[in-house]
Amino acid sequence: MNATITRQHDASWRVRFQEWWFRHRSWIGFLFILPWFAGFIIFDLMPFVYNLYLSFTDYQIGTQGTPPWIGLENYLEIFNEDKLFSKSMYNTVYYLGFSVPLRLAFAFLIALLLNMRVRGMELYRTLFYVPSVVPLVAATLIFAGLLNTRYGLFNHVFVLVGIPPVRWLSSPDWIKPSLIILSLWGFGAQMIIFLAGLQGIPSDLYEAVAIDGGGGWRRLRHITLPLMTPTIFFNLLIGVIGGFQVFAQVFVMVGVDGGPLGAGLVYMIHVYNKAFRDFEFGYAAALSVILFSIIFVLTIALVYTSNRWVFYGDGAEDAT
Amino acid sequence: MYGVRLLCALLALGMLLMLAVAPAAAQDCDGDVIELEFMNWWGAAREALMDELIGHFQAENPCIRIINQVQPWDNRSELLATAAASSNPPGIIMTTRPETYQFAIQGLIIPIDAFVEEHGTDLSVFYAGEVGIQYWNGELYGLPMPTAGGLTSMFLYNKDMLREAGFDAESPPETWQELQAAAEAITQGDALGIDVMGIQMHSGNLDEAFVSWLYTNGGKYVSDDARTLTFNSEEGVETLEWMLSFSNNVNGGIENERDFFQDTSFTEGDHPWFDNQLAFMPINTSVFGHYNNNDPEGYANADHWGVMLRPYNGDNPDGAHAGVTGYGFSGGWAYTIPRAHPPEMQAAAFKFAEFIGVHPQGGCAFLFAQSRPAPVKACNENPAYYDANPHWGTVLEGLATDTPIPITPVQGRIAEVLRGYIEEAFFGMKSAADALNEAAAEGQAILDEFWAEFDADM
Repeated sequence: MNATITRQHDASWRVRFQEWWFRHRSWIGFLFILPWFAGFIIFDLMPFVYNLYLSFTDYQIGTQGTPPWIGLENYLEIFNEDKLFSKSMYNTVYYLGFSVPLRLAFAFLIALLLNMRVRGMELYRTLFYVPSVVPLVAATLIFAGLLNTRYGLFNHVFVLVGIPPVRWLSSPDWIKPSLIILSLWGFGAQMIIFLAGLQGIPSDLYEAVAIDGGGGWRRLRHITLPLMTPTIFFNLLIGVIGGFQVFAQVFVMVGVDGGPLGAGLVYMIHVYNKAFRDFEFGYAAALSVILFSIIFVLTIALVYTSNRWVFYGDGAEDAT
Repeated sequence: MYGVRLLCALLALGMLLMLAVAPAAAQDCDGDVIELEFMNWWGAAREALMDELIGHFQAENPCIRIINQVQPWDNRSELLATAAASSNPPGIIMTTRPETYQFAIQGLIIPIDAFVEEHGTDLSVFYAGEVGIQYWNGELYGLPMPTAGGLTSMFLYNKDMLREAGFDAESPPETWQELQAAAEAITQGDALGIDVMGIQMHSGNLDEAFVSWLYTNGGKYVSDDARTLTFNSEEGVETLEWMLSFSNNVNGGIENERDFFQDTSFTEGDHPWFDNQLAFMPINTSVFGHYNNNDPEGYANADHWGVMLRPYNGDNPDGAHAGVTGYGFSGGWAYTIPRAHPPEMQAAAFKFAEFIGVHPQGGCAFLFAQSRPAPVKACNENPAYYDANPHWGTVLEGLATDTPIPITPVQGRIAEVLRGYIEEAFFGMKSAADALNEAAAEGQAILDEFWAEFDADM
């Protein structure tokens, strides 16, 4: 009798535990994301909050103890007195205004070509992706050599065919185009994402267009493009965020002054100069907060407008 | 077999010697060896020379171990700022004059007057101008090495090119007008810009070039008390107008000039100078060592190259050969001691700084090996210099023409402003007068703000 009661007791305890486990099974998921979450708190959120705090202080190199609180002074100086703020912002917007669409178009075009059924396609895909694994600094140095006015390949070809040489890196008019050309080099990552998107489009849709008598253009216009809009949106968003943060290639190619007349002085270089050349860390923190705010607002705007043009295939576009 | 035994015996002997020496060294230091990280930019061929200097120092000071941390030039300011501001900075840091002033006013480094007094360091061994520019607000923050002088007062010139153009190679140009005539005769262009250049009008920063030429035209950058910018004087405008006219008429503009030197480096040996494509080149005293390293045959041939003083404006009675010291980036290196370390480390750091500064096996030997002058007068009187550097007499003459410029910790910002406006003038966006006047107004505002805060703190 006692043994039966014990077994029943054990069984009910097991059932209760299983019920509890089932109800709280989501905690397992949380446990798994804990390392990432801890990393996010320590390496992203805390520095962000501290940076926000510093932006309201006159924190300079060598400041001992608590940096002096100066309220909005850094922000007021940026908006009212800092000529390089508007200049670097203009240069950055110019850069991303051209480089992001061009890179998207280029990556999409190459992805379309690499999605065709041709023998040896794996080789082509590898070859087109190879440039993306070249480290950014190495690629920039190679481009700096190619763009050298006197000894660069580009100008030598130009002279051979009778085109006047271009002062890629010494003329204020050509600095930004040079940086935009360089930005096209790293199209591989976006191309891979486009390729994955293209391969996810059901072939029966194309067959339906073919049955209706549609050619290549109609397939692209009415099937490929609409179904690729989520991928285009993702690449656009990442491109815009990355474009605002462009730094390394500009730093290597034209230096901290931004080249002649500061034509290549992008926003992050200005932040860098304020922090590490002028040692005004509080001011640089304020510049960073402004950049974050711009990117944040733009991201929200892009996400909001995406409802109007991104097709998710689940009726989401009808919600608007 | 005999060889193996001999080897074993030698190894055993070596180990015995090490065992015998190690406790003795430890005994001398009471078991404590102070380690100092030495953050510096003596790279390339100079690193081995610096290691040698450190070896000599450590032989005399077995209780101090110097770790030679040569830094890359890339990201220099970032490296320096983060190192100096950290809670564990290097034991001793090589800083330029503007950085020394900046760190001094921010309290990151200590004045060394007390150490100088304690050690009885004789500062009169230095040229007055060299040690003088290491003072900020009446306190000494570092001992100089190499010279701040000789950075803008001299030109290297190619005698062969001068001869080919029909000029007397032994009588290089003395005035702006003679220089321009020579440059016009030598400069040649091609489809891609300049193929052979007469003179490099500006190397590096435009503001530094302008200030250097300004002093050969009787002008001044700033008042003696460092409170009023004076570079927009009549002499200043005349100087910049001449630079612009030269750049546009002889070299075809600043873009041509920059293209000519794009991606070349004298240190790396791929500079147009080495291909006989450049006749006159403004130099600093480091070029002799680099020249010797990159082209020993050319360097040894004193008939191929010469050193001349920076030409002056022959139309101005006040014009004279001149150079400036302590103005900009590389003007006035010193070895500064961070405040963050305990006193015994600071004392050790001073010992090393003093060794670099005044010891015959310190800066003297280090700079002699590079055929460049020392800030210590007696070092430069070594007759062997005349063999090591075939134009040593002119080098000393050039040093004598240098004028120390009074600057403040905000010098970097003012120089940046001046550089920007001068560049606009070179690109034809502003006249020389407008560029200098606007730069002076903006720079003066920065200077006034600094002095207002400084005076309030005092």
